[in-house]
Amino acid sequence: MKEKTLRTLSWGWWLKNLVTNKNNLYTIIAIVFTLLIIGVLNNTLDNYQIRIFNLCAIYIILALSMNLINGFVGLFSLGHAGFMAIGAYTCALLTMSPEVKQMNFFLKPIVPWLANVQLPFPAGVLIAGIMAAVAGALIGAPVLRLKDDYLAIATLGFAEIIRIVFTNLQSITNGALGLKGLPNTVNVWWTWGIAIATIIFMILLIKGSYGKAFKAIREDEIAAEAMGISLFKHKMMAFVIGSFLAGVGGALLGHLMGTIDPLMFRFLLTFNIVLIVVFGGIGSITGNVISAVIVTIMMEILRVLDGKMDFGFIEIQGIPGLRMVMFSLILMIVILYWQRGLMGTKEFSWSWLGKISRRVVFRTKDC
Amino acid sequence: MSLNIFMQQLVNAASLGSLYALLAIGYTMVYGILRLINFAHGDIFMLSTYIAFYAMTSFLLPWYISFAIAIILTILFGILLERGAYRPLRNSPRISIMISAIAASFLIENLAIVIFGGRPKAFPSVPAFSKIISISGVSTSSISVIIPIVTFIVLILLGYIVNQTKMGMAMRAVSKDYEAARLMGINVNTVISFTFGIGSGLAAIGGVMWGLKYPQLIPLMGLMPGLKCFIAAVVGGIGDIKGAVIGGFILGFGEIMIVAVSAFLPYDLSGYRDAFAFVLLIAILLLKPSGIMGKSSVEKV
Amino acid sequence: MAILKTDNITMQFGGLTAVSDLKIELEKNQIAGLIGPNGAGKTTAFNMITGVYVPTKGKIFYNDMDITMKKPHEITKLGIARTFQNIRLFKELSVLDNVFVANHLRLKSNWVSSVIRTPQYTLKEKEMHEKSLDLLEKVGLIDVKDEDSYSLPYGMQRRLEIARALATKPEVLLLDEPAAGMNPQESQDLMSFISRIRDEFNLTILMIEHHMQVVMGICEKIYVLDYGVTIAQGNPFEIQNNQKVIEAYLGVD
Repeated sequence: MKEKTLRTLSWGWWLKNLVTNKNNLYTIIAIVFTLLIIGVLNNTLDNYQIRIFNLCAIYIILALSMNLINGFVGLFSLGHAGFMAIGAYTCALLTMSPEVKQMNFFLKPIVPWLANVQLPFPAGVLIAGIMAAVAGALIGAPVLRLKDDYLAIATLGFAEIIRIVFTNLQSITNGALGLKGLPNTVNVWWTWGIAIATIIFMILLIKGSYGKAFKAIREDEIAAEAMGISLFKHKMMAFVIGSFLAGVGGALLGHLMGTIDPLMFRFLLTFNIVLIVVFGGIGSITGNVISAVIVTIMMEILRVLDGKMDFGFIEIQGIPGLRMVMFSLILMIVILYWQRGLMGTKEFSWSWLGKISRRVVFRTKDC
Repeated sequence: MSLNIFMQQLVNAASLGSLYALLAIGYTMVYGILRLINFAHGDIFMLSTYIAFYAMTSFLLPWYISFAIAIILTILFGILLERGAYRPLRNSPRISIMISAIAASFLIENLAIVIFGGRPKAFPSVPAFSKIISISGVSTSSISVIIPIVTFIVLILLGYIVNQTKMGMAMRAVSKDYEAARLMGINVNTVISFTFGIGSGLAAIGGVMWGLKYPQLIPLMGLMPGLKCFIAAVVGGIGDIKGAVIGGFILGFGEIMIVAVSAFLPYDLSGYRDAFAFVLLIAILLLKPSGIMGKSSVEKV
Repeated sequence: MAILKTDNITMQFGGLTAVSDLKIELEKNQIAGLIGPNGAGKTTAFNMITGVYVPTKGKIFYNDMDITMKKPHEITKLGIARTFQNIRLFKELSVLDNVFVANHLRLKSNWVSSVIRTPQYTLKEKEMHEKSLDLLEKVGLIDVKDEDSYSLPYGMQRRLEIARALATKPEVLLLDEPAAGMNPQESQDLMSFISRIRDEFNLTILMIEHHMQVVMGICEKIYVLDYGVTIAQGNPFEIQNNQKVIEAYLGVD
């Protein structure tokens, strides 16, 4: 008996289980296939299209990170832009070369301890996520006791504080001037690689015991607590993980833009992510992935409405007009008439696909 | 700091505090009744200044008629907003209503950009309000003195409406217990429309005075004051009108004092002026979440 | 030795005293009842025992350990589970997941091992899954395990709530009006169900109930509250013949 338990506990068994499970096998095949498609697109799309393609991946990461907090744990947090700003600035300051930094900080020199730091991009992204996660832990400890709209306004306030602090810390962030000339290291492998990793991470997290505990908190906090689930621990966990991902997303976004400044991280940015999450279905990973791609592409297509083609995703001076009117309208309509969004809380699964295909097969047989 | 400058700042603080108070009341009344943060309240405030602006510059109407039109149209708009964006979701989860409010806010802001243009506009100056008056050496524009006075009169009127009229009583009843009020035959929809009307009216009064005091109009001008005044309402104790006024004044004084004190500090803090409200919010939520005037409530299990 | 003891607990909300000087003592494996007219403070008493409210005065002991200041989730972990008067199921979760998630508190793995599915975690998850199925089998809900919990008929929802509480492996179970809204036949079934789970899971049960038939039928000890004050306690026979209880229920002329 003891021997058997030991055997079941071995990693070899774990690996074997991973490969022999049919659904896992399908998933691995699907991932390989997706990577192939990404490779093909990487070689066929033009620069502008690649930029949008990258944005899709970044928005997948951001939407999932918000969905973890808002959709699965049911906390209404509006602080995303703040965590993204922390991520973007951290990564930028850690990866820019000393010369570029010197050129940027012409108004007031950069603090000495940052002036000569230059780390490789992966380290920068990782530290960006960690810094955002630390900020998430610091802000989460006091504000996660709050509920609903109080939490929303407190997190929104926190994001604004970050932005104001960044505008004023001239010798660290270069203030309102922002940072220009971020290393151009972001490519589809980075963005989509991290996006796919995030998707897999989210699926595994949500399907596991912790994910179910999150959902229990979302459904009924009092009952969840009575079932022995520590509200604080689980909320904090989701909030910190979500902040980490937001920081990573922010770092990628910053490097994709090449330029960042505090105005980029206004509430508008959080609003974009809320739109994706609501449109895809609050509490559905599948829905969010689909809607991140749709909304990002639509945002670019609808740019025509603004009259001028602008290659930057978030405009810094010219404020988008009609395009944002359209988006506000879409969000209103979705929330008024179609609250469950694309997927509600449903998810794609191989067994679901099996059911559908069987149904199709049966139908064709009937004919 | 010389006493003169200090007195001048005090007057500024009183007028800014008054404007915040007028806006904060709108938040607190709506929240008291619907438990909803009307995110679009700041944008309603913005609309009122633009309406007054166009009435004066495009239609060349005298200021008092322009202001009256601005207030009336803003009230109507506030009522319409509730009908269109909030009423259909009355029985939905709170998150949905809040998202709708955020969407409405963005919709108004972006429509304003499309219709009014994104460039700043200068609010026309009205001679009666831009006189420089000086009382014993303290000189200030007349509007800075008029704002607190008008606010005071408006607050007395509001107190009368809420405490002495039948509609006011109905409003208090609905905010105490929505269901019970409905069962007692109060027409809740009318009360809610009335509340939005009053809130928007106060925002419009604040809006036109804001235009006179800070004569630069942009479509996003309602965003920050809106957020800050919601915070003022929370600080004072949400649902409580007196609390909203207190919160508005705390905010107004705090912001002006940061700027004033900053002139004497080695490090310039004035850039952090906008952060004051948010720091105050987080502090009050941690120390006394129910706000200064609020009573703590126990959640029913 | 009493397994659960409340030492003169009092709960005040502002000026209102919801419960005053409540003294409950439960012996192991006892089924006790807490009765009284509406608003007598019965649910408030439950909320104090389970840590939702902290009593204004008094102390609560569980196996001689002071649990007065403990949080609800800690108390559940120690072995006191409860159900709710107005059913509080996890609506979007399936019947099975409602029970599964109640096992979560005994999970020793951290979230990282849950994400990478370490062998230890996988084993534990499998065990939780099997235990949940086993429990659903025992309470007769196995046939509906994949349904959404909110789509169940009322009686089954009540049963699921009890099953969910049982999944936390309690020693003491607090039931808040388990027979509410049930017809005589259903309450009869519920009575035998409660006695059965007491024996099978070795439980001590305290229940709030309005159905006198149920209370008198299975409770060995009864506490009667009226306006927060304990006006009587004793076995069913004593309670039925207690003058104060009769007055509280029927009113005095």
